[in-house]
Amino acid sequence: MDAQTLLWVVARATGLASYAAICISILSGLALRTSVLDFLAKNRAMRSLHDFTAWIWIPLGASHVAALVLDTTARIAPQDLIVPFRTDYGQLAIGIGTLSLDLFAIVIVSSWLRRRLNDDLWRALHRASYLAFALLFLHAFLSGTDFDSPVISSISWAAAAGLGILAVSRVLWGRLPD
Amino acid sequence: MSSWMLKLGSVFTTLLVLAGSFGYTTSHLKNARAPLQPPLADKAVAVAPSASPVAPTATLPPLVPLRGRTRPPSAPGTPIPSLQPNVRSADLPPITFTHVS
Repeated sequence: MDAQTLLWVVARATGLASYAAICISILSGLALRTSVLDFLAKNRAMRSLHDFTAWIWIPLGASHVAALVLDTTARIAPQDLIVPFRTDYGQLAIGIGTLSLDLFAIVIVSSWLRRRLNDDLWRALHRASYLAFALLFLHAFLSGTDFDSPVISSISWAAAAGLGILAVSRVLWGRLPD
Repeated sequence: MSSWMLKLGSVFTTLLVLAGSFGYTTSHLKNARAPLQPPLADKAVAVAPSASPVAPTATLPPLVPLRGRTRPPSAPGTPIPSLQPNVRSADLPPITFTHVS
């Protein structure tokens, strides 16, 4: 396997793994706000897991974008990681991924600066992670090379649907069941 | 469930997904149905000049071995002999009758 092929494999594999890690991160974050997942663990353990998962998905996400920038076939420039919709192919699919990356960067930086931020501002910024995840799923759906695999597709759809149901029920009905 | 068990579970799950993804992607390097297909036009243009076509030769190899004699080089513009079947018109009057014995 030559270097370019290896980069392509790394980009795809780390993309899928970072998706899984982000699912766990959002699930643990939701678990703090709903009692549906109380059977899993106490809030303190969930909070600890939620903080810890950033150290899993950040390196995987960084590997995903770094491999794509280094892969000459993918033709992703470093500017494409910040400015969306400027690639010369797949503008929408890749641009949505860039937006998701930008939002996740805002969420993670605001979390590190939480003590210096107003609580309301921090909460508003942290809630952007739901939008970032929705964009991430859309990016995977529109551009994912492996998304037509039944196994990968079904797991990804199931994870996204589960998180979506939990998030919507939390917004509509609050902390359930009380 | 304790905190460290949750962390271990999340790491294990992610590593499992990573290993499975590596296995899948290495066995499916190319996907013709992938939604994104980066254009390869630049690569094709870069390859084209090096693949120069072979110029057709005007000389034909001798059909009979020359056995020591050398054939004089043909002057430029000399028609190349061809063994292909063809029909040529002669400068003779056309045949209008036939003799039957």
